[in-house]
Formats: sequence, C-alpha cells, structure tokens
Amino acid sequence: MPFLDQWISWLPALSPGLGVSLTLTGLCLLFGMPFGLLLALILEGPVKPLRIAALVVVEVGRGAPALVLLYLLYFGLPEGGVTLSAFATGVISLSWTTGAYASELFRSGLAAVPAGQREAAVTSGLRGWSGFRYIILPQAIRISTPPLASLGVTIFQTSSLAFVIAVPELMSKAYALGSITFEYLSVFALTSVLYGSITLVALAFVRLAEQRLSRHL
Amino acid sequence: MEIATERAASPPTVGGVKVLGLHKSYGKHAVLHDVNLDMAEGEVVSIIGPSGAGKSTFLRCLNYLEVPTAGTITIGDTTVDAGARRPDRASLDRLRRVTGMVFQNFNLFPHLTVLENITLPQMKVLGRSREEANAVADSLLNRVGLAAKSDQHPSRLSGGQQQRIAIARALALSPKVMLFDEPTSALDPELGLEVLAVMRDLADEGMTMIVVTHEMHFARDVSDRVMVMADGRVLELGPSEQVMTAPTHERTKKFLRAVLDR
Repeated sequence: MPFLDQWISWLPALSPGLGVSLTLTGLCLLFGMPFGLLLALILEGPVKPLRIAALVVVEVGRGAPALVLLYLLYFGLPEGGVTLSAFATGVISLSWTTGAYASELFRSGLAAVPAGQREAAVTSGLRGWSGFRYIILPQAIRISTPPLASLGVTIFQTSSLAFVIAVPELMSKAYALGSITFEYLSVFALTSVLYGSITLVALAFVRLAEQRLSRHL
Repeated sequence: MEIATERAASPPTVGGVKVLGLHKSYGKHAVLHDVNLDMAEGEVVSIIGPSGAGKSTFLRCLNYLEVPTAGTITIGDTTVDAGARRPDRASLDRLRRVTGMVFQNFNLFPHLTVLENITLPQMKVLGRSREEANAVADSLLNRVGLAAKSDQHPSRLSGGQQQRIAIARALALSPKVMLFDEPTSALDPELGLEVLAVMRDLADEGMTMIVVTHEMHFARDVSDRVMVMADGRVLELGPSEQVMTAPTHERTKKFLRAVLDR
C-alpha cells in the first residue's frame, strides 16, 4: 500500500501540529471547564448584575460560532491595545466557547439532582454553601461529566479552526504539507484519520467514565 | 430510657412539641387550617388520614421544609413564629437542629458510602472529629443492624436497609424530635417491617416521634396518640386505642373502615 509509506513519511511534519492541537485543547479544557462551572454558579446565584453579565458571556459564547469568536478576539484585542500571540488568542477564544457550553451542562447537572437531596441536606443541617459543596455539587458533576467529556472531544475538533489565525496546529501543518506536495486529498485523508482516531479513543474513555460514575447514582 | 414507662401520663414539658394555630396556604388555596398539637417529651404521635389531608405538609412545616402561613412552632426550647416575617436563619437552624427527618424516599446521599452519609453531617454541622463521628456512626449502625454495610454505597442496599440508614443518619445529630414522613410507603411490606421494628425500638427508648403513616398497626400499637387529618384539618386527636377502635368522627370511621377492611 504505497499511500501508507507516504503517510508514515509525512508524520514527522504533522506531529508537531498534533501536539499543538492537543495542547490547545488541553488548555481550553483546563480554563474553560472551571470557567463554565463559575458561570453556572453565578447564573444560579442570587446576585442579579453578575447574573446578567454571566448571561451575556454565555449567550455570546454559544451564539457566536467558534470561528467568529476567534476572529473577533484576534482582530478585536489588538484594537483594544492587547497584543497576544495567535496561540494565546486561540486559548482564550476557545476557552470562552468551552465555558459557555460547559456552563449549560453544569446547570442541567445541577437541575438533575433530585429535590429530595436538597431537603435531606437541609434537614441534616447542611444548608447554604456546605450543602451545595458536599451534597449537590458532587452529584451534579457526576451527572454532567459524560456530556462535559463529549464537549471536550468536540473542542478538540473545533481547535482545528485556530488554523485561520495562524496557530501552528494540525490543520495548518496539513495545509502547509499539501501546498508543498500537492497531494491535498491524501494529506487531508491522513489528517482526518489522526483527528478521528484520537476522537474515537477519547469517546471510548467517555463511555468508560460514564459507566463508572453512574454506578452510585 | 426511664421516660418511656411514664411518658403517656406526663404533662407537656420543655422537651416536647407545641404547635399552635398552624395555617398554610398556597395563594388563596388553604391546605392547613388551624392545626394544634401539644406533645410531651418522649411521646409518639401518629398522623393518619386520606391522601391530600395535609399530613405531610403539616410535618414538613415543623422543620420549615414548607413555610407555614401562620402559627407558632415550639420544639424543645426553640420557638418559631410563622405569623411574623420569615424567621431569621438562626432560629431556623435551631429548629432543624432539634428535629430529625426521615423521608418516604430515604434521600440518602448516593455519592457517599453508608458511613459517610452518617459522619459527614456530624463533622460539618456539629464539628465532631472524624473519630468521634465514626464512633457515633458505628454504634448507630449496630443499633439498626447494618454495621456490616458501612462501606457500601446506598444504591447497593435494599429499600428497607436504606431507610434504616436514613434513620441512623438523622439520629447521629441527636435530635429532640424525629419526624417520619411515610417512612414505609415506598417499601414492600416485608422490608417495611424491619423499618417499623427500628422505629418501635426508638419509641421504646423514649424518643419523641411524629409519624405520618398508613401503617395502622403501628399507629395503634406503638404510638401514644393518633391524630386524624382530612382536608387540612385535624378531625380528632386522642389515645391511639380509642381513636382506632372507637373514633368519634364520622369521617374517621369511614377512613378506618376503608383501610382496615381491605
């Protein structure tokens, strides 16, 4: 199979890009998930001005396509006097997208904890923050984890959009390789195999986590 | 405890429960009308009646899971006046500290082990050390006959076992009064018996208990008095034997016929 030899010879050129894609995704999840939880807590919280601010952040983050957000920050931040590398801009932009979607998943997780749990917490003296921290939140996170993990996989694929602001991730490496070899079809076939195999492995882990976490709920 | 033998005769004391003129309405729709209850320490009162009578609502008002519209609730030396504005946090905390609640659906914390279910509130609410909390939990688990299950998660246990754990969890905070909201209604009859046995022991030890129930044998044999409710009102309240065998109210007779003659 001649194309296999060709693919193997291309791997050294693509693997740095894959590394950047995975790093980008990792950072976006690292920042985006806690950000999403924070947004969810604010949205469920009692402080109205904060709630409105969080709502704007979430609705823009979900309403604007990730590609638009990337451009918005890439061109917008320098206008505002903030100059960041393309990579940093990519991290901020995709973390925003991640946080916006994650906040909705956290909120539905919180809503899915049965009302009886809140009552049992309150009657056990665990009211306010301690009831939330020890009883409600751990259950909500267990409920939200499978969809959050799926979101992580989606963000990995979405990270390919960072190509448009010249982040040297997998997609941009593939494009560069194509423009040298003119074997676009074969290059992008390999690229999709790379994205796909990582995605499928990640999804397998999601399923495993799903089974483990739902054991006690 | 020594109180058990003389509790029926003793007058209402500071350790008991006193509810005066409790009202509860949702908008214009009243669900509780002027409910009064005066209980001595160590007394057991069962609340029976058709569904929709307001039994559970009344019970849930006692620890403010439902907010009553008017009336006063005194448990031990804590009084909460519902007629005023919403009571402050401190009084609600005190009210909930002296009441233990057992729910129809157990409501154990599913993400914690049996032991953690019983120790976490002790450590967070009473500030007990892990060792103290474990010791209390161990002795309570022994008492409800489930010491062997302490490392299991609730989902691995039968309903009857879960309810016994829920009773242990409530007892761990040393409440003055235990509130039971249809504790056996979600259980099949056999599992219900093991829960009732634990409750009977608790009553014998002198715990003050209010039990919303459809278990007529428990109401007659274990409780000192029975309160019959219908349509948000108390129809009658009297010694269990008398209420169960010779009720005065026509509605009570009808209800008892319906549940006893099946």
